[in-house]
Amino acid sequence: MKEVTDFDAIVVGSGMTGGWAAKELTELGLRTLMLEAGRAITPERDFVEHKPPWDMPFRGLGDRRAVAARQSRQRNSVSFDEWSHVFWTDDVDNPYTTPPDRPFYWFRARQVGGKSTIWSRQVYRWSDLDFEANVRDGIAIDWPIRYADIAPWYDHVERFIGVSGQAEGLAHLPDGQFLPPMALNCVEQHVKERMRAHFGRDRVLTIGRVANLTVPHLGRAPCHYCGPCHRGCITLSYFSSVNATLPAAQATGRFTLRPFSVVRSLIHDPQKNRVTGVRVIDAVTKTERVYTGRIVFLCASALESARILLNSGLANSSDQVGRNIMDHIKWGGASGEFDGWTNRRVIGERPNGIYVPRFRNVASRHPDFIRGYGFQGEAGRAGWGAALHAPGIGAALKARVTELGPWSMTFWGFGEVLPRRENRATLHPTLVDKWGIPTLHIECQWSDNDLAIHRDMNVTAAELLESAGAKHIEPSSSGPSTPGGTNHEMGSARMGRDPKTSVLNGWNQSWDVPNVFVTDGAAMTSSGCQNPSLTYMALTARACHYAVDQMKKGEI
Amino acid sequence: MERRELIQWLVAMAGLQALDTLDASDLLTLGRDIHRGGAARALAPHAKSNVSVAAERILPGAGAAGVTPFIDKMLADWYTPDERRRFLAGLPDLDVKARARAGVDFLACAEADQIVVLTALDDEVTALRTARGDAANQHWFAMLKYVTVYAWCTSEAGMRALGLFPLPGRYDGCAPV
Repeated sequence: MKEVTDFDAIVVGSGMTGGWAAKELTELGLRTLMLEAGRAITPERDFVEHKPPWDMPFRGLGDRRAVAARQSRQRNSVSFDEWSHVFWTDDVDNPYTTPPDRPFYWFRARQVGGKSTIWSRQVYRWSDLDFEANVRDGIAIDWPIRYADIAPWYDHVERFIGVSGQAEGLAHLPDGQFLPPMALNCVEQHVKERMRAHFGRDRVLTIGRVANLTVPHLGRAPCHYCGPCHRGCITLSYFSSVNATLPAAQATGRFTLRPFSVVRSLIHDPQKNRVTGVRVIDAVTKTERVYTGRIVFLCASALESARILLNSGLANSSDQVGRNIMDHIKWGGASGEFDGWTNRRVIGERPNGIYVPRFRNVASRHPDFIRGYGFQGEAGRAGWGAALHAPGIGAALKARVTELGPWSMTFWGFGEVLPRRENRATLHPTLVDKWGIPTLHIECQWSDNDLAIHRDMNVTAAELLESAGAKHIEPSSSGPSTPGGTNHEMGSARMGRDPKTSVLNGWNQSWDVPNVFVTDGAAMTSSGCQNPSLTYMALTARACHYAVDQMKKGEI
Repeated sequence: MERRELIQWLVAMAGLQALDTLDASDLLTLGRDIHRGGAARALAPHAKSNVSVAAERILPGAGAAGVTPFIDKMLADWYTPDERRRFLAGLPDLDVKARARAGVDFLACAEADQIVVLTALDDEVTALRTARGDAANQHWFAMLKYVTVYAWCTSEAGMRALGLFPLPGRYDGCAPV
């Protein structure tokens, strides 16, 4: 049988946003091809969240030598471990460069599902505090949309993915379509109450809003609290494209998924000024193939989508492709211990923590920086990990290892990072990846404002703990995270109101080539401080409906 | 397997450093282990026995939880050559200290003497930790102890004892201890 190579729509990437594009476009009637650079994933075979440490060669410590040789960058992701390392790329096959004194972590996932299998699943809406931020502060360019434009799409996405969370009625962190919230533990509940007494509505602690199910939802089972979601989920209890959007696309009968398809570039017809298709390198045979389609959605992840545009020489009349790279700055915060609750413990592994929505530069103005940060965190009792270097041997050591330690609570911040044109990825002049495709040179560093935000995290996290009566409060001793290290890289093909200063219009549509859409993190005009995936998904769904509408009108 | 083949095979194994120190009985033991599929890769038989007994004394239950083969694997495949050398060079200290105290090798000592030897080593590490912080982790006995505790806590028996296995299938953030 001859392979079909012509489609209504081509979606590049199968992760968070690619999955949404495939679901929406197929459900709207388009015959859709999804191109994924990596392998196929079969949950029954590839999801290993229940494999115990004693069945792993290094019991969770990882194959140190192999990782040092092949994944020395990817291993810095917080969810990289001996089980999940297969969900990250090989750094040798997928090189990139940075200035020697300015490291950047480009965490990449090449398999069906992309990073939606290994994400942390925290989902927070943005508000007009975020969408109006740039124009209010005179920073970069204005977002072309406001909360009212995206709110119905947040609803649409949340209803499908399933988000457990607690409504709080905060204007700057809008409530969503929540499934029942997960529970706080004893100490988190105590801290919440003490914070309320001390800070009122100014600093609020709520349970994390997380794309893990607490009740059965659209044929997926609720979470069973086994813990390591980033190794997959055989019960499909958290949202990923493998678990939810790809099956939905498949169910339409209009979906074709092609793994091992590395997109080299887009093919452009200068007469019509339309992209006519996509040039693909077969990852296994390294032969070139071409697929054609009426529209193309780039959902390859922020920097990869920018790389494809740069390698295509398209959609860049603004010279903004690859620029304005943002991430969230982290590793600021504090920990403290709590006396009491010694007859209480946590049972089960809650795949979620607490959230303290942004409180800086909301109602008042901070003298040292603009924007702000939110805290994530959790409380728990120290377990055996704290006893690995404990003194003693024999029965005394065993008692130390098996006894639960005191309760402690930690807050760690995620800070907004400003868009700056000099934070930029460019095509490397000579270096290519395993498939011969030019790779990226990435230059990115924190601004003074970003660093001021990071410093403030230590101060206010300690204040929160102090208000709750914690002892032995220790501010974080970590310096700021490495750019890219939060894996919230975004901004490299931003939306805007003016084709001269932005790559995409208010519908994630290329100003220059109107049948090209970019709906992953590349589209972001500012970074907010909330985990961004929910916004990427909402923008994707919104763009799909717009694109199909434009096709029906004959505009594209 | 012939002795010559056996030696070649051993030489070919990157983990085994101290082949020339093996005596005939070591080689015989190794041969038996190989036929049972249980050959150590970094630890010569005497060293393996020392590690096995020391691990059990450090954390009772470690032997039954399979800690010794894990330590051997860590030495063969995980630690750097420098770390492995440091561990293997330090391990004979068990016998040196045992002979000084009881006049016999560590394995031949009474349990009480073994505990005295191990306590002395643990005190050495503790003193080092007080003086030099995490640099103490480089001490061979700190390595042995770390891997012993880690291996037991990630064994089925250990995880059952810690209440981490089987999975509870639910979350209770304020359960009675």
